[in-house]
Amino acid sequence: MASFADRLLGLDRRWLFLLVFIGVVTPIVFPIGLPVTTTASTRAAFEYIEALKPGSTVLISYDYGPSSAPENDPMAEAVMRQCFLRKIHVVICALYPLGGLQLANNSVAKVTAEFPSLQYGEDYVSLGYKDGAAAVIKRMGDDIAGAFPIDVRGTPLSQIPLMKNVKSLRQVDVVLTVATGIIGEYWITQAHAQSGVPVIIGPTAVGAPKYYAYLNAGQLVGMLSGMKGAAEYEKLLAARYPELARFYGSTRAFTATKGMDAQTVIHVIIIVFILIGNVAYMSRRAAQRRAGAR
Amino acid sequence: MTPIPDIGTWIAALLTLAALSFLYKDNPIFRFTESLFAGISLGYYVGITLNQTLLPNLIAPLTHDFNQNWDLLVPGLLGILLYMRYVPKTGWMSRYALAIFVAYYIGLDFTRRIHGEVLPQLARAIVPLSKFDAHTILWSLVFAIGVFSVLIYFFFSKEQDRITRRVARVGIYFLMVSFGAAFGFTVMGRVALLIGRLNFLILDWIYPLIGIR
Repeated sequence: MASFADRLLGLDRRWLFLLVFIGVVTPIVFPIGLPVTTTASTRAAFEYIEALKPGSTVLISYDYGPSSAPENDPMAEAVMRQCFLRKIHVVICALYPLGGLQLANNSVAKVTAEFPSLQYGEDYVSLGYKDGAAAVIKRMGDDIAGAFPIDVRGTPLSQIPLMKNVKSLRQVDVVLTVATGIIGEYWITQAHAQSGVPVIIGPTAVGAPKYYAYLNAGQLVGMLSGMKGAAEYEKLLAARYPELARFYGSTRAFTATKGMDAQTVIHVIIIVFILIGNVAYMSRRAAQRRAGAR
Repeated sequence: MTPIPDIGTWIAALLTLAALSFLYKDNPIFRFTESLFAGISLGYYVGITLNQTLLPNLIAPLTHDFNQNWDLLVPGLLGILLYMRYVPKTGWMSRYALAIFVAYYIGLDFTRRIHGEVLPQLARAIVPLSKFDAHTILWSLVFAIGVFSVLIYFFFSKEQDRITRRVARVGIYFLMVSFGAAFGFTVMGRVALLIGRLNFLILDWIYPLIGIR
């Protein structure tokens, strides 16, 4: 047993990489369709936006880059779809330097194409990117046009109908920050504290644990934790809106719900290997103790 | 007819494979990709800052309406001063700009931490005695013991005695649980990135290449 344990502990890690690779590829090629259960924090975010009246304003801030797009893209797009279905105005901005704006532009192009009746400037507006997130959020608390004098198309904010009644964060009904790194924290500890604007966060899974403290303290109205949170949101949307149920059921594009198949398979593989590793470690230690006693 | 992957998809797919090749072992193709990524990221950052921040927030207001926006010369000048450090004789000038920059962010961060973090978190740690039911009592106790024991663990101003060492040990257990949760989330996050990349390789590159819709 001990020699087998030694062999297991000395296993070339590339075998594990191969197993993880197979574990991810198989559900992508042959989707399983495993069920997704929803959590209270995601339901709170969903219901908060559901309760907003048509004509309300939601600000979606793209505070992530391409490295976490598989987790964050589905969150931003799901909330955008919900807003457009409920005739809620959407203001989009990007505060993450490396690719935030490009991802925002891609998302807006993709989702608005699904709603051909939308008018730019009246139903949604994209403000573009600004450097120095903390200072930008501080300024937006008093004067959005001070931070973003023109939108992404170069139009002054004063000439955009949607922005006529949205001068500062105080006129925004809720902020969704889809975030990696520290920018999500700025929205909670600065924007919410300064102007009282409710905040929903969609962090990457890596960043999610620290936001539970804010959620628990009532500084967040909801949270979508990583890909799981995004899949939960897609499920809630599909349950409430038949047209989105058809969309999420038929789209060829990547969705968080599809990604959760691979997540589940990989988690099973990792749990099994953690158990095997621990058993092998303990059996080797027991064998060493026995050898020492002799 | 299935669309053939365009040149952008080919470049992205090959660079993805080059980056993943590090999993087998370090190699020149991986190092080339790494350097390319670092260079492109820097170039992108400079470009987007010029195009999206400096141009609309500084240069355009100054050129279009100088009388209304002349005060923008001050931050513009401070920004230029930062680059004086590259000239040895004028390097000292950059310190003034840096000092103002640091002072601004200390002020901003200080109020942000106090009003946005310390006070709300402290307020949440105080549970009202008026609404005690079995559920509240249980979780409030867990919460209170967790906060108290972790704070004792991080109290380094006095050497721990027999009692505080035991309390700190409880704090370690709370920390271990939080590290475990963080590790679980980290695994989920990293796997999500791999899922995203392999989805791209399979759905956007391989499938069109072999004619699968």
